[in-house]
Amino acid sequence: MAPPRTYRCEAIILSYTPLGEADLLVTMFTREQGKVRAVGKGARRSTSKLVGHLEPLTVVRMSMAHGRSMDIISQAEVVQSFAGLKEDLTAITKGLYLAELVDGFGSEASANPDLFQLTLDSLRAVQADPSSDMPLRSFEFHLLQVSGLMPELYHCVECRQELEPGAHRFSPNVGGTLCPDCNPDDAHLRPLSLRALKVLRLFDRSSITEACKLSVDGSLAEELKSLLSTTVGYWLGKEIRSDSFLECLHKESLPEVYI
Amino acid sequence: MTQENLSGAAPSLARLVQELNRLPGIGPKSAQRLAYYIIRLPDDEAYALADAVTSVKQNVVFCEDCQNLTDSSPCLVCSDPRRDRTMLCVVEDPLDVLAMERTQSYRGLYHVLHGVISPINGIGPDQLKLKELFVRLAQPELTEMVVATNPTLEGEATAMYIRRHKGREDLRITHLARGLPVGGSLEYTDETTLTRAFQGRQEI
Repeated sequence: MAPPRTYRCEAIILSYTPLGEADLLVTMFTREQGKVRAVGKGARRSTSKLVGHLEPLTVVRMSMAHGRSMDIISQAEVVQSFAGLKEDLTAITKGLYLAELVDGFGSEASANPDLFQLTLDSLRAVQADPSSDMPLRSFEFHLLQVSGLMPELYHCVECRQELEPGAHRFSPNVGGTLCPDCNPDDAHLRPLSLRALKVLRLFDRSSITEACKLSVDGSLAEELKSLLSTTVGYWLGKEIRSDSFLECLHKESLPEVYI
Repeated sequence: MTQENLSGAAPSLARLVQELNRLPGIGPKSAQRLAYYIIRLPDDEAYALADAVTSVKQNVVFCEDCQNLTDSSPCLVCSDPRRDRTMLCVVEDPLDVLAMERTQSYRGLYHVLHGVISPINGIGPDQLKLKELFVRLAQPELTEMVVATNPTLEGEATAMYIRRHKGREDLRITHLARGLPVGGSLEYTDETTLTRAFQGRQEI
């Protein structure tokens, strides 16, 4: 029997690009099939029944039809719009940062319901507290976990000895933490403070919601950001583009003309 | 279309197909069809097309005020003394100016950003005509800025960035109304649009 021509799925819209006269090429992450790229026919017309349902960072229930080269979106209904998140520029940028990472780590035609749930929980955490960076750090850590790239945090990856309390080193290239006695020749090697190691272990045994309650000082926040975004970037194999605008929002001052 | 596919074609024809193939939305087959269509055109029509392409590249510049594309700077809108100089409408693209002008309901000035902030595509404020906008906002005769970016996530993010950097507290900032399109249907309207349409309801 031939497989059905249509199917239903629940998806988080990651991004879209204009296609042809009035279509959209939509990239989404679905609970059932992983990353999917599909065409929204006529979705750029203001009277299209799809308009408003395909905005990035929206959870949508979809009806899709298998196409010759790409699937076609036949119906879309918003399940969760994250309207609160979309009222804040920093929160939008953080949401798009999550979307870019999901796009990079998600595989087509390979379901990863844990990554779907992680993304949903992280978007909710960003919406709840747009000023906190902890949802991003927690997301980066758990993204490695659900992608099978979890770094070793309890034993030295070289000598396999249990890590003693103290300053250690970390490298995504060797798969995690190193004790002070092991010195592999590795360009990605970096110091790892005991405080940062404790936070990573806390991430390991906490949900996103619990991890987001944690408050850290500026230097520890910087160390965690540098460590986790570098590790995620290492596995992604390319620059995380939305990170530069996020940095810009943190650092920016008013335009020169008004200073 | 690759060079191998054009091995039997005349070199000048192959070059035309390759150049047409670079245009957005034009695939190899469409490029081939267009090239053969151009060959079959009468000479004067084909030369007029070539002349139009050359002319647009030689003559079109950014208007020094609104950053729209124009043959002479300042553009016709910016140099028109009948225009209301207290209002500035900020749009994403030159085509949006044409759409606004078709309404014949707006008589102020424009500012064209040439895109929107798109973090996921690596497009930040520096790639847009935002610096030029912030300079214009200092003009004392300006009292209202209408941010007419598209009501998309990136359009809204750009509007928020502009609002954050407007500089003048006395400048009124508005955006176009959100709601139902003419010919639309409540049944298929998303909740955000419907909420905003309800909030902006008017007496009849």
